[in-house]
Amino acid sequence: MVPFQVLVADDEAVSRTVVGAMLKKAGYPVIFAPDGQQAFQALDSDDPPAIALLDWEMPGLQGPEVVQKIRGKQSQTPTYIILLTSRDSSADVVQGLRAGADDYVTKPANEDELIARVSVGARVVELQTALADRVRSLEEALANVKALQTLLPMCAYCKSIRNDQNYWEKVETYFTQHSNVSFTHSYCPNCYERFVRPELEALESARVAQDRQRRR
Amino acid sequence: MEQRPALDPAVLDTLRKLTPPGEPDVLTEVLKLFLNEVPLRVERLRNAWAAGNIEEVRRAAHSLKGSAGNIGARRLHAICGQLDDIGKSRELDGAAALVDELAAEFDRVNTDIRRIISAAS
Repeated sequence: MVPFQVLVADDEAVSRTVVGAMLKKAGYPVIFAPDGQQAFQALDSDDPPAIALLDWEMPGLQGPEVVQKIRGKQSQTPTYIILLTSRDSSADVVQGLRAGADDYVTKPANEDELIARVSVGARVVELQTALADRVRSLEEALANVKALQTLLPMCAYCKSIRNDQNYWEKVETYFTQHSNVSFTHSYCPNCYERFVRPELEALESARVAQDRQRRR
Repeated sequence: MEQRPALDPAVLDTLRKLTPPGEPDVLTEVLKLFLNEVPLRVERLRNAWAAGNIEEVRRAAHSLKGSAGNIGARRLHAICGQLDDIGKSRELDGAAALVDELAAEFDRVNTDIRRIISAAS
């Protein structure tokens, strides 16, 4: 799997460079934003980063404002956002998480802790992507089921089904094409009595007659 | 207190180890960025203090705190943290002494940085 891209948004070059170097060492491709407005633009683009580390106090938009604005956009695969800031009071942590951030790390970040938290983010993003794929395939399956729920014209005598192109098809053919159902052929007890047993008995008496003839 | 290095050797070591093979030393790069960025902020903080603009003092102290923490300037980081808190609470007792202390500590950090950079080149 291709490692997820990480956005680092901070107005201080020192912090940006240190955090960027930690992420690169851990194998993540990194992009940078020097203020809140550019961070928002990166998150709001067609191909947003999977994970973002946002500073709190930045010129223009502050970290929590960026989070709030992007969360208002309702994406199926939202960016995992970590606030990375020198603000270290509980009230700040609560405010940041309430704004919609997924996690909160105080500066200066310990390298191992930061990377561990980013990899938690990667795990969440992976799950979210898998879930979105699953929802998509379930929706497709549901559309198929709906196609089968419509009224099917069936011949009262031979049980053929008229398909959408106005051709008469065997039941097996129709269902194989319109669902994931496949058929295996067998017989029910009634049909055994009606068709199979007489055929077997006819075969048996034919064999007996043949034997008798041979013995003569 | 004065005997302790202005920059935490463990943090410096961590930064040095962030350097990818065959690329320029991350520690030197970061220290140079610090020298580019931070004196202006210290200047801004002192001007704001002189002008009585406490919110601006707090903002400058806050951003200095981030940069100081990243290079392991522990004492500078602590002073900036105190000024950040003072700025929030608007309780100015002891603030004047802290601003002076910040300037002095910044000089120590500066000296250490220059020594490290010249040793590396």
